[in-house]
Amino acid sequence: MIALALALALMQGPPPAAAPPPAVQPAPTHTPEVLIERRLAESVPLQVGDTVRVRSLSGRGPTLPFVVAGVFEREADPIRISRNEMQLRFHLPDLEALLPQKDRVDRFAVVLRPGANPDSAARWIEGVAFGTRAYGSAALASQSSATFRVISRFHDAIGIVTILASAIFLLCVMIIRVDERRRDMGVLRLIGISRSTVFRAIVVEAVAISIVGSAAGAVVGLIAARVVNAHYAAVYDTTLKFALVSPRIVMTAAALGLALGIGAGALAAWRVVAVPPQKLGER
Amino acid sequence: MIVAAFLRGLFRRRGRTLLALAGIAVSAALLLDMTMLASGLTVSFGELLGQSGYTLRVTPKGILPFDSDAAIANGDAVGRRVAAVPGVRAVAPVLGAQFRLVRGDSVSEPLFTFGVDPRSQFLYRLTSGREPGPGEVLVSVPMAADERLQPGSEVALAGDLDVSLGRARATRRYRVSGVGDFLYNYAGEHSLAMTLADVRAATARASDVSVFGVSAEEGVDDEVVARRIAAAVPEVSTYSTRELMAEMDKRLLYFRQLATILGSVAMVVTALLVATIITIGVRERFGEIATLRAIGIPGRRVLLAVVTEGLALTAIGCLAGLPMGLWMAGRLDRILLAFPGIPARMTFFAWEPRRVALAMGIVIAIGAVAGCIPGWGAVRAPLGQALREEAE
Repeated sequence: MIALALALALMQGPPPAAAPPPAVQPAPTHTPEVLIERRLAESVPLQVGDTVRVRSLSGRGPTLPFVVAGVFEREADPIRISRNEMQLRFHLPDLEALLPQKDRVDRFAVVLRPGANPDSAARWIEGVAFGTRAYGSAALASQSSATFRVISRFHDAIGIVTILASAIFLLCVMIIRVDERRRDMGVLRLIGISRSTVFRAIVVEAVAISIVGSAAGAVVGLIAARVVNAHYAAVYDTTLKFALVSPRIVMTAAALGLALGIGAGALAAWRVVAVPPQKLGER
Repeated sequence: MIVAAFLRGLFRRRGRTLLALAGIAVSAALLLDMTMLASGLTVSFGELLGQSGYTLRVTPKGILPFDSDAAIANGDAVGRRVAAVPGVRAVAPVLGAQFRLVRGDSVSEPLFTFGVDPRSQFLYRLTSGREPGPGEVLVSVPMAADERLQPGSEVALAGDLDVSLGRARATRRYRVSGVGDFLYNYAGEHSLAMTLADVRAATARASDVSVFGVSAEEGVDDEVVARRIAAAVPEVSTYSTRELMAEMDKRLLYFRQLATILGSVAMVVTALLVATIITIGVRERFGEIATLRAIGIPGRRVLLAVVTEGLALTAIGCLAGLPMGLWMAGRLDRILLAFPGIPARMTFFAWEPRRVALAMGIVIAIGAVAGCIPGWGAVRAPLGQALREEAE
C-alpha cells in the first residue's frame, strides 16, 4: 500500500469543451484508471465511469485525468481509525507519473520459497539493497501494533481499578447484609448451629449474589458492547469491533466475580463468627 | 442536633463507613481521571502550541502540519504575503526533510530534520551552543547524548541513498552548532535542525516550505488573524490553536468517548454504593427515626439529616479520591505516553480546576440524591407501623 496525500480535483463526466487549466496536461489517448474507496465515492459522490483529475500534494507534479474504474471497500483496519483518511488505488506507473520523484518505492512485500529462512533472506536483502530494512511479518506486526499494545495496557489498568471498586462494593453489600442479620445469626449460634455452618451459609449467599451479579453483568456487557460497536461503526464508518464479549471474557469475568464473592463472603462471615453469640444481639 | 446524631452514626459503624468511603474514593478517583483524560491531550497540545508564541500554523491546502510530505510551493513569496497581513507579528518558515547520519560505510535510520530560520523558529529551545548557521546543524538532546555530540563536533549527513551502488548519496559534513530541546519530539527522538537554505540545497526543493508558524501581534485575536491570512493567501490552509486542538480532538475521539463511558460508570457505581449504604443505614434506624417523629421532630429535619449523611460520605470519599486519582493519572499517563509519535512534553491528563470541581460536585450531588430516596421513605412511613416494628 502506498500512502500518499493526494489532492483530488474532481470533474464528473467528460472534461469540458473549454480549454483546460494550464496546469492540467492533455489527456492521453488512453485515460488511466483509478479505484476509489467507497466512502470517498459516497461523499463526493462518484461512480464508475466518472473522470477525476488528480494532483499530488507532494512537490509540484502534474494534474492528470483518471477514469473511475471501480469502487472498493477498504479492509477494516484499526490503524486507520485515528486519521481516517480516504484512499485511491492506481497502477504503479500511473501513480509514479503523478509524483515529482521517479523510480521510488515505499516498500516491497516479499514472498519466500517454501523452506527459505526468513532471517537470512532479510539480512541478504539488507546487504544487497543499501539502506533498506527487511522485516519478517511477525516483527512488522509487532511494530505496527505498538499503538494497540498501549491501549491494551491502558484498558488493563482501568480494569484493575474497576475490579477494585467492584470488590469494595461487593464487600460493602455483604457486610451490610450480614450486619442486618446479626441477631438472627446469634440466635442460630445459640440454638447449636456451628460456626462453620454459619460461615458456609454466608459464603454461599455471597457466591449466589456474585453469580447472579456476574450473569446480569454479562447481559449488560453484551448490550453495552452492541451499543458501543454500533456507535463507533457510525462514527468511523467501519466494520471494526471496538468491544468484544467473547465466551473467554465472560468466563474470566464470572471467575473473577466468583472469587470476589467468596472473598467478600468470607470476610463478612468472619466478622460474625469471630464474635461470641451472646454479643451478636447487641446494637 | 439530629444531623449531628446521624453523622455520629457513621462513626458507630466504623468498618462499614470506611469500606463505603473506600468505594466512593475509588469511584471518585476514576471519575477524576476520566474527567482529566477527556480533555487532557487536547489542552496539553494547546499549551504546547502556544508555548513559543507562534499560535497559528499555515500549511499546504487541506493538510495538517507535517501530516504528509506536501509542501507550499513558492514558500518565500507566500511567507512575505503572510507577513504583510495586518496583525501578524512574525512568520517562521519550516521545511521538513529526512537525513541519515553517515558513519563510514553505514548509515543511521532516517532522522527528521527541520529547516528553519534561526532568527524566528518555534520548534526547539537551545540548551547549549548557538543557533545553526550555514553548514551547521543543531541536534536534539537525546541524539547528542546517544551519539556523543556536542557543539563543535562534526557529523556527516546524507539526504539520499543510492541503493544500487550501496552508498549514501549527497553526503555533506556539518558542524554541530548547538543542542536543542525539541518541543514536539517524542521521548528519546533523534532529530536535527539546520538552516532553511541548507535543507533546501540538500533536498533540491528550492522554494518549498512545509509549514509556517505565525505569531499574532499582542492584543490581536488569533482567530481574526487566521481569517485574514485565509482571505489574503487562499492557496494555503491556516489553523489557529483552537482549530488544531479541534483536529486533535477528532483524532482522539476514542479517548474522549471512553472517558465519558468510564466516567458515567464511575458515577453509577458511586450512586449505587451511597444509595445502598444509606438505604440500609436508614432501614436499620427505622425505629429510631419513628421515635424522633413521635416526639415531634419534623420529617424535613430527619430527611435533612439523612441527606447530610449521604453528603458527608461522598464529600469525604471525594477528598480521599482526589490524591488517589492524581496518583492513578500519573501511572496511566506513563502507560499512554508510550503511544508512538506522542510528544514527550504532552500529558493525557490535564488538571482543569473547573472541570475537576464540576466532576466532584456531581459525585457529591449524587450522594445527596442517593440519600433523599431512603430518607423520604423513612419520613413517609406510617408512624404506628414503624414504632411497632421497632418494638418487635
